[in-house]
Amino acid sequence: MLRLPAVSRALAVRTSARASSNMVEVFVDGKPVMVEPGTTVLQTCEKVGVQIPRFCYHDRLSVAGNCRMCLVEIEKAPKPVAACAMPVMKGWNILTNSEKTRKAREGVMEFLLSNHPLDCPICDQGGECDLQDQSMMFGADRSRFTEGKRAVEDKNIGPLIKTIMTRCIHCTRCVRFASEVAGVEDLGTTGRGNSMQIGTYVEKMFMSELSGNVIDLCPVGALTSKPYAFTTESIDVLDAVGSNIVVSTRGGEVMRILPRLNEDLLKYENILSPFTHTHLQGVQGSEVGAIAGGMVDAEALVALKDLLNRLDSDTLCTEEIFPMAGAGTDLRSNYLLNSRITGIEECDLMLLVGTNPRYEAPLFNARVRKSWLHNELQVAMVGHKVDLSYSYNHLGETTQVLQEIAAGTHPFCKVLAQAKKPVVVVGSSALQREDGAAIFKAVSTIAQNSRASSGVEEGWKVLNVLHRVASQVAALDLGYKRGVDAIRKNPPKVLFLLGADADCITRADLPKDSFIIYQGHHGDVGAVMADVILPGAAYTEKNGTYVNTEGRAQQTRVAVTAPGMAREDWKILRAISELAGVTLPYDTVDEVRRRLEEVSPNLVRYDDVEESNYFKQAHELSKAVNQSLLAAPLVPPQLTVKDFYMTDPISRASQTMAKCVKAATEGAASVDEPSIC
Amino acid sequence: MAAAAVVRGIGSNLSKHLREVRLHLCQISAASQGSRDFIEQHYVTLKEANLELPILIRECSGVQPTLWARYGFGKERSVSLDNMNVDQVAKALESLVNAKP
Repeated sequence: MLRLPAVSRALAVRTSARASSNMVEVFVDGKPVMVEPGTTVLQTCEKVGVQIPRFCYHDRLSVAGNCRMCLVEIEKAPKPVAACAMPVMKGWNILTNSEKTRKAREGVMEFLLSNHPLDCPICDQGGECDLQDQSMMFGADRSRFTEGKRAVEDKNIGPLIKTIMTRCIHCTRCVRFASEVAGVEDLGTTGRGNSMQIGTYVEKMFMSELSGNVIDLCPVGALTSKPYAFTTESIDVLDAVGSNIVVSTRGGEVMRILPRLNEDLLKYENILSPFTHTHLQGVQGSEVGAIAGGMVDAEALVALKDLLNRLDSDTLCTEEIFPMAGAGTDLRSNYLLNSRITGIEECDLMLLVGTNPRYEAPLFNARVRKSWLHNELQVAMVGHKVDLSYSYNHLGETTQVLQEIAAGTHPFCKVLAQAKKPVVVVGSSALQREDGAAIFKAVSTIAQNSRASSGVEEGWKVLNVLHRVASQVAALDLGYKRGVDAIRKNPPKVLFLLGADADCITRADLPKDSFIIYQGHHGDVGAVMADVILPGAAYTEKNGTYVNTEGRAQQTRVAVTAPGMAREDWKILRAISELAGVTLPYDTVDEVRRRLEEVSPNLVRYDDVEESNYFKQAHELSKAVNQSLLAAPLVPPQLTVKDFYMTDPISRASQTMAKCVKAATEGAASVDEPSIC
Repeated sequence: MAAAAVVRGIGSNLSKHLREVRLHLCQISAASQGSRDFIEQHYVTLKEANLELPILIRECSGVQPTLWARYGFGKERSVSLDNMNVDQVAKALESLVNAKP
């Protein structure tokens, strides 16, 4: 138990200034603390710095109070109370280390261990097991168990989660997570008392894009990671949210990814070993072009841009298209998630256009669900009807609907006009269409109209773009052209593919004797058509800067060294520049970052989001766009869970993800698992 | 307004001489007030005359307002816009358009 007396003194000073509000005074082991009414005993003790042991309580899930480990004695009360559930009353003295409290903890621990198998030596959770830690700290030192233990059958809930249900202590965290956060109400409890079992009752797969999180939630070794079984601070770049992760490694291979507070196993099919300056020495101007893919860090992007600019070329494109018309990417507010992910919790009406956030940005979707559950967020969608994990108002999937809302003739406009904090989110897949500029214009009009309506306060931002690739925002910040049209119009003789595997440009689009250079880590399509392959480093192997869809710059750190002769991408480009005769002016990562600052200063403001404005100006320019909307319905590329697992080159190379797709399409029994578990 | 006249004078010369224009400014500091006003009042006109030219506006808190221009072959020039008013910002842009890389 951690005691931090300095914290409690500071708290007492701060809170006494608000004595006029209805704060309640409580004592924890004799120390006074002021808390708001409705705070539970457990939260009060945490405020003082005392950690009460618990299994079923989790601060992001609803309170269950079924493990009974958090029982503490309240002075002068007849029975101990469950700290996680009981709100404090005035004048209570909470005794966290008294005789009764200690006896309660030892008793609960004894009961929990009585049916728990002796699996510690073979359990994956060993060393990071809550049961182990709490029995050492709070359990009795000797056992009086002489009966037999019960055993439970294992359940098959998918290729990611290994279940050994004998170890389950029925804390119901997984049940509450599935029901509340994932929105998939598949897990539940069957039976009672000794014969209680957690599972899906019928053999059903736990089919959710967030299914792997129950592995982190389970306090014991009942739910563990199947890929990680028996086999290492960075950020996840497989979507544009930039979730913070810890990468665990063993012997140069990434073994598992754990969430960091603010999924998957990578098996390498990597490119291992490189010359090409001769081709670059001769070319100039529009004869050389480049395409940047979805997982490139900002350092490599700026190095490539500088290299090509020095060869007098401006033909630098991203694979992902973004409308070029109007203000395009001049104004950052045009392409960022302006309300930020935290803004979702404040908004009261959300309009989704042409996106399926459940599979494009699952954590964004989980936030929306949280807001829908607790803050009465209303959600409406223009696009193909998909199963988001919450109910929403489906307005239609044609662009006609979008036009009507922009013109003000659709009945939804009345709802939009009344919202105090509306948010409009357009998916980047909708902007990839040929009428992307027209769609953006319509969305921008809708956003401006609702901003101008009476209820919305001045600083609130309505327009948001949800990206799907991690490098898009950094590339747009640096000034890349969006989409490969520029390359199609003027096919270059030398094409540089930086991690570009989305098959946008093929050999057929280029002149006959063109030379293609591919630089990346998991090459599938891009590497196959290249003349030269330069092995680069993946995001877990380099210190790189990525900017998420909100515009927040974050850093990845080296978790494993890159295999074979692979190098950091910007270093490869620096070497090429020297050999091609246009040496780039930086030799260290700090110098590259100084260059990043020269181009766009927000790229080095790590972990912060910079506010961007000028919506009015952007809207004015977009009004001049003359494109008309196509009749095709707005259908996002990922519709069901089987589309979720193979969306980028790293996932496509992963055996685990392949198993997930097979299980999602054919059922859990179809996946072959080794019988030793 | 002197700035408007300068902007009209620059017109589409911007994209003839430059490959890229970058404007760094702070969202709230007093030193960037002129830059902010310039964008509010003249960005749209400038962009309409130069639709293909990237005019990157990058707001960042606490940064000193600067105007960067990129010419051919990767050559760049920059001018500090610290504490300038709208007219001075327009003049700074004009000087970069006419400068030799």
